[in-house]
Amino acid sequence: MTERPFVEVRDLRRVFDVSKPWLNRMLERQDKQFLKAVDGVSFDIRKGETFALVGESGSGKSTVARMVVGLLPPSGGAVSIDGISMTDRAVSQERQRLRRRIQMIFQDPYASLNPRWRVGRIIAEPIRAFDVIQGEQAITARVGELLTLVGLHPDDAKKFPHEFSGGQRQRIAIARALAADAEFIVCDEPTSALDVSVQAQILNLMRDLQERLGLTYLFISHNLAVVRHMATRIGVMYLGRLVEVSEGKRLFSDPRHPYTRMLLEAVPDLAMVGKPREGVKGEIPNPIDPPSGCTFHPRCPLVFDRCRVEAPAVIDGVACHAVNQGRAAA
Amino acid sequence: MTEPVISVRDLTVEFVTRRGTLRALDKVSFDVARGEVLGVVGESGAGKSVTGSAIIGLIDPPGRIAGGEIRLAGERIDNLPQERMRRIRGKRIGMIFQDPLTSLNPLYRVGEQLVETIRTHTDLDAAGARKRAIALLDEVGIPAPDRRIDGYPHEFSGGMRQRVVIALALCAEPDFIIADEPTTALDVSVQAQIIALIKRLCKERGTSVMLVTHDMGVIAETADRVAVMYAGRIAEIGPVRDVVKAPLHPYARGLMGAIPSIEGDAERLVQIPGAMPRLSNIPRGCAFNPRCGEVFERCRVERPELIDVEGRQVACHLYDREHQPARTGEIAA
Repeated sequence: MTERPFVEVRDLRRVFDVSKPWLNRMLERQDKQFLKAVDGVSFDIRKGETFALVGESGSGKSTVARMVVGLLPPSGGAVSIDGISMTDRAVSQERQRLRRRIQMIFQDPYASLNPRWRVGRIIAEPIRAFDVIQGEQAITARVGELLTLVGLHPDDAKKFPHEFSGGQRQRIAIARALAADAEFIVCDEPTSALDVSVQAQILNLMRDLQERLGLTYLFISHNLAVVRHMATRIGVMYLGRLVEVSEGKRLFSDPRHPYTRMLLEAVPDLAMVGKPREGVKGEIPNPIDPPSGCTFHPRCPLVFDRCRVEAPAVIDGVACHAVNQGRAAA
Repeated sequence: MTEPVISVRDLTVEFVTRRGTLRALDKVSFDVARGEVLGVVGESGAGKSVTGSAIIGLIDPPGRIAGGEIRLAGERIDNLPQERMRRIRGKRIGMIFQDPLTSLNPLYRVGEQLVETIRTHTDLDAAGARKRAIALLDEVGIPAPDRRIDGYPHEFSGGMRQRVVIALALCAEPDFIIADEPTTALDVSVQAQIIALIKRLCKERGTSVMLVTHDMGVIAETADRVAVMYAGRIAEIGPVRDVVKAPLHPYARGLMGAIPSIEGDAERLVQIPGAMPRLSNIPRGCAFNPRCGEVFERCRVERPELIDVEGRQVACHLYDREHQPARTGEIAA
């Protein structure tokens, strides 16, 4: 690949101030507390692929997504999309034009659509905001087209969101994301609020649209099976750090980081009827006071002295001292 | 075979609303044997949770049991007066809910809640109850139970809270536990621990469990038998291995195909057209017929009963040999 990747994320960091109020701190003689939600995450997304981030709650995957689309300013690091920096103030003009090419789909289709607006107005909002098409008639026609594209009827534009089921609402959210001809869509748990049969419909729709329109997805999910179905490449996050990046299927056939292995071991799956499984040990530690060195070391079966002191860098797709030193038997 | 712990026959639950009577459960029948884990799956609105609430006698008005009967170890419990049912609830039937935070009172220490429950259902004195509470916390895998017993619920993580709720359900050594989405609010690595715990406890104590969840993966690993529900009816019920690996009912087949797996190589997920009908508008005949790919005339008119097919029960006319010999042959092939 000589081409520059479509999305470049470099050493992205985000710190949240979770201190108690000033007076409490003074009285209880406590220092300010900071939570490193995202701690030095770097990855690339190529045009037309689906890059997935998986991890358990609190691993920082949603924070990464929000920083990539610019909903949350990073504390450090850089994001650039199609060569234009999302973080550099100097290029704000260009970034404004870039904005319309990026859209987001949220987890809860009940919260992400304005209940007082008709569906037509919801979908037309980005068209009007970015001035993509002029003229009411043309906009109405475009909205009808978009509704058909996501498997609804043009007449549905006249209805209100409450008249639709969860799956249909998520289709409306997808139509809205596509309204301004977006190329890059960040999906934050797009199907976790849906029933399985509806989830299958939405996942199939997202793949069809990707094929037809050449979309690039950043796909956030905690569901490994869904991620395996959707992703070209997968990044596994643990406590704000990327521990492994791998080609989609390879992550499942050849997981390398001990955390990835544990996670795969833990997923209940249809294929596991009656098979015994290894127990999972421990829980995610408190992110305010993460373990030293590699944050996974208290739960890691391959832990050795170096892990407790030095945080491993991502080398060849894995951030693990044991793997890099060849101590992890495949 | 000894008597089943729970036996449900033709259970019908209705909700009377201004717009008419909604039937949330329609003639549901099943048994749960001693020490058995029965999984109940289905999508939202299929009637999974209502089944659990009906058994434990916690259906809120305007809902009511409109027909059928529920037996606990042979004794009928669906028509008991409130006061008698209250004594069965918790003592003989335990319950684990989805969200551990709402099942625990945030203002009381975990130990106080456990001791209160133990003393309500047994003759132990305060000291004895506390000792028993510590033993229970230890049994559900809470480290340093003698210290953690004096903690408040907010001091526990999600997984640990769910362990406390399980301990609470076990207080009175019930014969039967209803677990309604016990792992849905938890992360996968914690979920696996809770599943293993429920499984171990059933085995050790011979407790029967009805495990309600929408996650087929959880069912596949935990349950002995599984019931697939659709629009308030049981579509298929049988040993978990059979139903998951080779479902017979067209809805069950669609449901299993719709689930992405971490093994296997399906490029596209099976898509069931349409959505589950609203309770106010359940189609005539088989409730699944408008979405079914193999629908024929009889499905639109006559509701299929559960019939025995290959070691399980299926509610589908396709498998009724007497009336549709040609079609059954086709499916079996």
